[in-house]
Formats: sequence, C-alpha cells, structure tokens
Amino acid sequence: MARKVAVVGGGLFRPDIWHGENAEEGVAIAYKDLLKSVPNLTPDDIDALMMSYFSDHLNGQLCMGWIIQDYLGLHGKPGYRIESGGSTPIDALVNAFYLIKSGYYDVILIPGWEWMCEVDVATTNEMIASASDTDWDFPVGGYYNAYYAALEVRHMQLYGETCEDLGRIAVKNHNNATHNPYSQWVSLHGTGKITMDDYWKSRMVCWPYRVLNNAVMSEGAACLLMASEKAAHKFTDTPMWITGVGLGTDSMRPGDRTADFVYENFKEEAKIYPDFVEPIKTPYPDMANFASLNIAAKRAYKQAGITNPVKELDVAEIFAPYDGVELVLYEDLGFCSRGEGKTLIREGVVEFDGELPVMLSGGLTSQGHPVGATSLYQILFLYYELAGKMKEKYGPDALQVPDARKALITGHGGTGCQGAVMIFEAE
Amino acid sequence: MVIKREKTEKKYMHYPTVEDKSTEAHKEWEPWVHKGLWAIKGYQVVRGPSGGGTVEEALKRKPKDFMVIDRASAALYSHSYGLVSPFFRGLLDGKLKGTKCPKCGTVYCPPRAHCWNPKCAVAETEWLDLPLKGVIHTFTIQCLAASPFANMLPFSMGYVKVEGADTTLPMFLHIDPKEIFIGQKVEIKFAPKEKRKGELMDLYAVAVPSQKVPEWSCLHKNPRDMEMLQESMKKTLEWVKKRYGIDNSPEVRGW
Ligand SMILES: [Zn+2]
Repeated sequence: MARKVAVVGGGLFRPDIWHGENAEEGVAIAYKDLLKSVPNLTPDDIDALMMSYFSDHLNGQLCMGWIIQDYLGLHGKPGYRIESGGSTPIDALVNAFYLIKSGYYDVILIPGWEWMCEVDVATTNEMIASASDTDWDFPVGGYYNAYYAALEVRHMQLYGETCEDLGRIAVKNHNNATHNPYSQWVSLHGTGKITMDDYWKSRMVCWPYRVLNNAVMSEGAACLLMASEKAAHKFTDTPMWITGVGLGTDSMRPGDRTADFVYENFKEEAKIYPDFVEPIKTPYPDMANFASLNIAAKRAYKQAGITNPVKELDVAEIFAPYDGVELVLYEDLGFCSRGEGKTLIREGVVEFDGELPVMLSGGLTSQGHPVGATSLYQILFLYYELAGKMKEKYGPDALQVPDARKALITGHGGTGCQGAVMIFEAE
Repeated sequence: MVIKREKTEKKYMHYPTVEDKSTEAHKEWEPWVHKGLWAIKGYQVVRGPSGGGTVEEALKRKPKDFMVIDRASAALYSHSYGLVSPFFRGLLDGKLKGTKCPKCGTVYCPPRAHCWNPKCAVAETEWLDLPLKGVIHTFTIQCLAASPFANMLPFSMGYVKVEGADTTLPMFLHIDPKEIFIGQKVEIKFAPKEKRKGELMDLYAVAVPSQKVPEWSCLHKNPRDMEMLQESMKKTLEWVKKRYGIDNSPEVRGW
C-alpha cells in the first residue's frame, strides 16, 4: 500500500438544539474554523469535496450539497454527496480515503452537517425512522428508540448486563462531555457532573432506555481536511494517518437476523450462545450483536496490524445512538469476548483513566448528533487527542490521553445495517 | 406493441383497481395538494446566540435576531406492497401467511418473494399458511413513540417468531409487562374485521395463559426495574390522557 492518507485538520460549528444560522452558514463557520487552525490551507489546495449529510426530509431541500459547495465558494471543484444513514459521515471519510489512496486526488475537504430541529421532535423521529423498513418495521410503533431498545433487551437477556450498566455508560459519557466546551450537553446543562441518581430520575423512553441513554437531536456542522502523504505536511506537523479501514453491512430488518445466511459461517462467534433460549438458524449476530461492525473491525485490524485492541489502542470513539450499542460493540469490536461488554464498564476499563478510554467527547448522547457531522466531530476530537493538542482546542479542562498513538472510530447506520471501523495513528 | 390499458375512474392509476378502500384517504388528503406545498404561512423573529467557538464564546456575543418562517409539506403516497401483497390481503381475512424457499426450505415471516440465501440464487418462494402462534424473540415497553402511535402509549412492541418461521415479525404485544418475557409463548390475534386495513397493526399477540415468568427474565430479575417501569408507565398514561383525552389504562382499553 504505497500512498498514505491522513486527516490533517478540521473545524467545527458546535452542535446545539437550535441555531439561528442555517446549514450553509453553519458549515461556513466550521470551514472558517478549519482555515484558522490550518493557516497554510488555501481554497486552491482543495481538489474535491465529499458532502456528508443524511436527510432531505428534515429541511425539505434536495441537493443541499450544491448549496454548501456554492456557499463556500468551492463550486467548480469536483464534489458529491455521500449518504448512508448514521454511517454517512464516516462513509464520506472512507470514500475520500479511497480517492486519495488511488492517486486521483491529494486534498479533499469533507463538510458535514445536519439541521434537525425544523420540524417537531415527534416528526423528526418519524422522518429518521423512515430509514427503517417502512413496510415491515416502521408500521409497528416504530422509531429507532424502540428498535434499539428491543435489540438491547435481547442482548441483556442473553448476556446479563443490567439497567445499571446502561446507566454507568450514560454517566460516563455525560461527564466526559462536561470537559468538552463545544458539547450540546454543556450548552443545555452546563458543566456540572451527573450521578447514577440523575440517571434513575431521567425519563423512561423505551424500556430499558431512558432519556440519558439516547442520542440528542442537533443542529451543527464540521469540516475535515484529508490529504495524501505528499500534501499532508503542508498543513500540519501532526497528521493523523489512516492505517485501517473496514466496512460491513447487515440485513435491513433486525428481525431477519435470526436466519441470516451471510453469517452461516460465523461458527466461532456463534459458539457463545446461551442454552436457555430456543436455538435459531444463525445465533450470531441474532438481534443482539452487530455483525456489520464485527466484520468491519476484523478488516480494519488486519490492515492496521492490530491483534489486541484494548492493549494497542489508546482511545476510541464509538457511534452509539443508544448506550447499549456502545456496550455491545465492546464485544463486536473485540475489546472483550461476547457477553463481557458489561465487565468493561463495571471495571472502568473504558473510563478516561482506564486502559482504553471510550467516548471522551461525550458521543452522540451528549456531545451532539447532527447526523452528517457526528463522526466528523468525533474524528476531529481524535485528531487532537493523537496530536497531543487537546487543551489547545478544547480548553484547559479537556481530557487529553497522555501519549496517545492509536485510535479507533466506528460509524453505524440503521439498526447496524451498515458499519465502518477506522484506525488512526499519530505520526 | 402498444399495451391497451383499461380506463379507470382514478386518473392516477395506470391499471384497473379491483378493490378500493382508499377513496376516503384520497378525499381527506386531496385538499393538501391545493394548500400550496412549501408556500410560506407565517414567520417569527427569534433572538439567539450566533457564531462559532465554544458555548461560552457564543453566549458572550451580543445575540442576533433570526427570522424563522413556517412552510408546510405533505403528500399521500400510493405505495405497492409488491409480490408480498398476498400477506397483507391475508391479514384482511384473518390469515397469517409466510413464504418458503423450495430450495433451502427457509420459511420467511415477514415473507420474501425471493429467497435471500446466496446459495439459492434468488429462488422464487412459495406461499404457505402459518399457525397463529409463536414465541417472543425480544420486546420493549414504549413510554414514548413516533407521532402515529403516541396516543396509544404506553404499549409493548416485540418481535415474534411465528411457529414454523425462521425470521421474526414485529407486532404489538397485548401483554402486561409484569408477565412479558423473552421465550414467552403467544397467540396471534386479529383486530375486528371491520377495522383491518391490511397492515401489520391488524394483528397483535396475547400470552398463552398460565406461563410462569422464568427467574432469568431480564425485566423481572431486579424488582426495582419493574417498579420504576410501572412508575414510568403511570406517568405516560397520565400524559396521554392530558394530551389526547384518551384513557389507555388496561381496565379501560382491555389490555
Ligand atoms: Zn433458499
């Protein structure tokens, strides 16, 4: 693999429940933030753009990507939209990676955004849920909170985590977000810490998920700059190299994963399956785990030469719209064996001072979740972690992992219908 | 060759309608077409923070006034259920149908018109009637729902593995959360014939009587979880009553 590809910087317009600025202005603010932090970047350097945004329904504007490219004055350059639900922003990155790696381009700008609060919350939920199967899943009380709750109940039953474990993840992530001055949590609730008691008091949405377990609705934008090895050092002394990229997909409907032939040969993964439940055709992933991410992780680890992720990785950001997803992915990403996700949170392995801190940004439930920008925020966060410059960007209270060298991020669309894993390394 | 199409009364259909239960919906939604989609209906001016940087930096700046307009969008989609239409027509007759692959024998409910087993090369499947019984594969209890279901809260939704099928079908569970568990045997029931619309909400599941909740059931292991859930459901009931004027308590709605 001759050509290396790096993330060389980024800028952000913080996620919040509402912005007076509209999407193009928000992206412009993020782009300006990028230009400020990468002073050597001129618009002439940018070869192409990958536009990252999820929904057309939420703003009633088709081809919003054209507006954005025009607004930044970057029309004329090659550019197009990437869309794959929650996986949108990471897939934009993956796509840019392929294009740079192939030698076609040297510098790609990824603007990502979502403006999710133009319609009321119930309608926003409904519009997002139209990414689920509208013939077979949506018509039954459906929205993603419910599907993911049902998936989590299955995992909970098979492998024994408790409501308390889900609370522990919520408390960890929200308290991490209090160190992130760009987070939606800080905007709405300030920097005070929360406790398990706050968790138990937060409103039940779909059992076992409470409000504090769920991703927020956001408006926000981010811009990431990616470059080839040839171009990278013009922009930064601390490029973040992409050393592993894995993609995976899964069935559209989680209900079909009980007889999913794609996973017939997952004999190893299927081994750990409790005997108190009725056997099914494909016991892995069942509806409990995410095979798309398991496949993606194996591919990414192989490229990056990672054999023991907890030992070799220094920090991880996971795309978890609901806290159970984070716990389940500890398993599918090989941080522990299946059924042991609960142990990692109970033993503090994934806390800031643990062996592998996960979600120091606060993640989707507390940093914010404007879909097209979400992973870009997380990647920018990892960029500063690996550069050792957290405090420069996120202030004196930021959670800088000492000597962080390797990081992992996941992307995740639908009910795990699509997933991506990327491994980043500091220079 | 020109295919001659029969003339129908509804100009939006290209082929004859052999059964019509959509007139009312079209009547109800037709005016929307003339309401002027995307026309601006009003505005408000909102004073809020602006600009980039951290929360603190944004709040320090002088707020700006933003003009926020209201515009509406709506449409009635006439969507085909495709080759699995017999499943939904079956619901109207109180029948639960699945499909079976003649090559690998997999039974699908939800049905698939073509087998997805890569070895079967998208073989066309065959219809079969399934028994009205199954097992709860997983479930959730909803205290919040998307708009079309909000007035039905609280309720339980689950995936049911119908007897003989290999995949699972989502449906409402008319079962008290105190009794509900993964692995529970259920009977599948239909809404009264006159209320059926040929959609998944035409069916629901009830528990087969006198099953004991196993001690490993995740919802029942810790009594505190059940207590807190009951409390949340109570609050949800009150909210629905206040918001929609509907009493969804089990004594009133019967489940
Ligand atoms: Zn087959």
